[in-house]
Amino acid sequence: MSSEQILRTYKLTKSFGNLIAVNQVELEIHKEEIVGLIGPNGAGKTTFFNLITGLETPDEGQVIFKGINITAMSPHKICKLGMSRTFQVTRSFAGMSVEEAIRVGAYNRREEREVQKKVDWVIKFFELEDIRDYKCSDLGLASLRKVEVARAAATEPDLLLLDEVGAGLTTTELLRLMSELKRLNAETKITLCVVEHVMQMVMGLCERIFVLDAGELIAKGIPNEISNNQRVIEAYLGRRSYSESSSTG
Amino acid sequence: METIIQSLFDGVLMGCIYALIALGLSLIFGVMNVVNFAHGDFVMLSMYFSFWVGSLWGIDAVLTPLITFPLLFTFGIVVYYGMIDHILREHFTIQIAVTVGLMTFLRAITQLVWKARPRALPYSFIQGSIQLGGYTIALSRLTSAIISLIIIAGISFFLSSTWPGRTIRATSDDLDAASLLGVDFRKTYALAFGLGSSLTAISGGLLMTFQQVDPTMGLRFGLLSWCILALAGLGSIPGLLISGLIIGVGESLAMSFWDPRARSLVIYLIFILVLWLRPRGIFGRK
Amino acid sequence: MNRKKNRNIENFLLLFFLIIALLVPLIFGSNQYKMLLVTTVLLYGVMATSWNIIGGLAGQLDLGSFAYLGLGAFTSSTLFIRFNFTPWLGMILGGLVAVGFALLIGIPLFRFRIREVWYALTTCALVEILKVVFTMWEEVGGPVERYLPYFRGSLYHMRFGSYVPYYYIILGMLLIALLVNSRIARSELGYYLKALGEDETAAEVLGVNTRACKLRALVYYSFLIGVTGAIYANIYGYVHPSFFNGQESIKIAILGIVGGRGITYGPLLAALLLVGAQEFLRASLGGEVSGLYLVIYSIILILVVLFRPKGIATLFQDGYQKLVAREVKKKSVV
Repeated sequence: MSSEQILRTYKLTKSFGNLIAVNQVELEIHKEEIVGLIGPNGAGKTTFFNLITGLETPDEGQVIFKGINITAMSPHKICKLGMSRTFQVTRSFAGMSVEEAIRVGAYNRREEREVQKKVDWVIKFFELEDIRDYKCSDLGLASLRKVEVARAAATEPDLLLLDEVGAGLTTTELLRLMSELKRLNAETKITLCVVEHVMQMVMGLCERIFVLDAGELIAKGIPNEISNNQRVIEAYLGRRSYSESSSTG
Repeated sequence: METIIQSLFDGVLMGCIYALIALGLSLIFGVMNVVNFAHGDFVMLSMYFSFWVGSLWGIDAVLTPLITFPLLFTFGIVVYYGMIDHILREHFTIQIAVTVGLMTFLRAITQLVWKARPRALPYSFIQGSIQLGGYTIALSRLTSAIISLIIIAGISFFLSSTWPGRTIRATSDDLDAASLLGVDFRKTYALAFGLGSSLTAISGGLLMTFQQVDPTMGLRFGLLSWCILALAGLGSIPGLLISGLIIGVGESLAMSFWDPRARSLVIYLIFILVLWLRPRGIFGRK
Repeated sequence: MNRKKNRNIENFLLLFFLIIALLVPLIFGSNQYKMLLVTTVLLYGVMATSWNIIGGLAGQLDLGSFAYLGLGAFTSSTLFIRFNFTPWLGMILGGLVAVGFALLIGIPLFRFRIREVWYALTTCALVEILKVVFTMWEEVGGPVERYLPYFRGSLYHMRFGSYVPYYYIILGMLLIALLVNSRIARSELGYYLKALGEDETAAEVLGVNTRACKLRALVYYSFLIGVTGAIYANIYGYVHPSFFNGQESIKIAILGIVGGRGITYGPLLAALLLVGAQEFLRASLGGEVSGLYLVIYSIILILVVLFRPKGIATLFQDGYQKLVAREVKKKSVV
């Protein structure tokens, strides 16, 4: 892991009407890291991803990616620079086959001549050989998730954002996915930022973790620190009411 | 100068009627996100129905909506359950394609049945004109405009204060939440579609008090409604009314000062300009 | 492997069609009425196939094809009438003018997140606008037909005494349109268009410049139609603002959808079947049929959209698959 920053946000803020979804969030991700972004439901994690990837424009703040200010850039330009993502609710190319979907991603960096090689490489890496001709609409959840990751990985990003790829998977499927992500990071040196609810995945995968609650960054650190952090525990479980203990006495 | 004011009067009156037409479309598009390309042809169909009912039973044009309203409402419900309901989840192009088919069908059928020449009803009992400070105002247009405004206000009240109306609004705002609260969204959609369609019956009847109908009118009213919708944006009835007035006045001025043939041209140009500069519309909420 | 076999069959069918098409004039050559009929059918085939680029591959419901046809026709013919400019170059200019107008409405309307319905409506508006403008524009258009100078057989002027040469020119255009379709579908642009048709947002984050892709498709499509417009004017021998026909533009879209959006030969198939039948019936039963036929067109469209949204070409594809499956079964039993 290098200490060079690949992504940095400054005072990132976004409101929808009266609701402040993301509130002055500042975090930094280093090259080749695997970081996690966690927080209770509605904490603003997906909005944060949308802000970084250009799908939403922030009201305030900046996003600096690889030293470039990408704050108001369009999503496809950001992808060309080297950032891609998956979606919480899978957005598959239903009518296309697995291979075709991956090919779309691969065209990001490859010309017509080399694109097939890249597609074959991605399929081999993610062990999708058996289903390469299957239509995306025919896939089960675990395969769909993998295809989404593979598709985004095919764009050859420097930073890959994964939005709840673990949701709904069985333990076995989860472990497989985790090992593939670890392998992806180790072999291709892609930086990963993972939004997750499944704690097993977060704790087992991430080197550092950021915690959002109600749009604010309330904690950051290594997994051990986070799991013992009082504020984090309160955010997930709710604050204990001290007046209660006196009424039982 | 006098011509300008005269044009303004005519434009404002027509604008009210246009706003009512657009309101029907706004109910359908705004509520269920269905693009009804055939809306203008629904208006045309209403006009033909008014003509048919009026000449068959000798009813005055302005009273025909009493019969055509339930007719169009039923038609709307039938179209909804027969076509729209099936394609709600499909790709948008499919949705548009179905209503384009409906539009073409209506145009072709009316042409087949009533032929290409314009049809009109005999003069309504609302005849003649009044003088207002030296300017002539046709009574038929005046009453049509007033009735349109009353209906628009009525619909506004319906949507904000009655239970079926609020269900419609709730369903359009948040489908999932409304479903959870027990609203059968399909029935609500059908209601909205039926209502949006039947409003054209009123517009149609009113228009027949002073206009003819021919098979090309569907296109004109269709593009007109979409233009008003584009200008107004979604979610605001007053905005719709103001946009209707703008379009009505624009058309009227174009006819007086540019060229009678350019009446629709102005509307289409405004349409393209709005989409270019401010796609969400001037008063848009969504 | 399946796809390769599919493609081979498609190529074979296309070759078969081509041979028949080439032979048609030899059969009908002397009957000018029949020649005009088949030329008209092919004309609709060209337009529908070109439409497939924007309507099928790019997934945009374009209802204004005759806007570009008319622009091409007026550009080429005006230059022809006034400056004796050859339509062979005039049609290129016609195509460029069409592209210009297409970009005028495409650039604002293909922005990310603008809903597709506005594009469809604007194309309708464009046809109507141009009709009125050219009716009012006395110097170039006006309410009266402008006739092209008549030549018995002048290649330079693209004017001939018989419809046969026009037939071959249109056939050539058809082949070009089919080729462009096929090349795009298999290229990066084709994959990008398919992706954005499935999910625009997902496509964007994968590096697809959705707006640029749609514009490129629009350019190919409008250029082809514009060029066809010039030829169209030469076939009928005049130009008139009625060329800007909204209803016919919708018909082209219907052919594209009914035939099979995105399938290269789909719209051509629909054109051959539907327009062929219509023209044939018109020849046998007279003008009344047109009104009735529009009713039939619309009903067919609605039925196809509701029950077979992928188009009738898929019937043939599925039919072929079933045939292959049966053959494979037979072989394995033996």
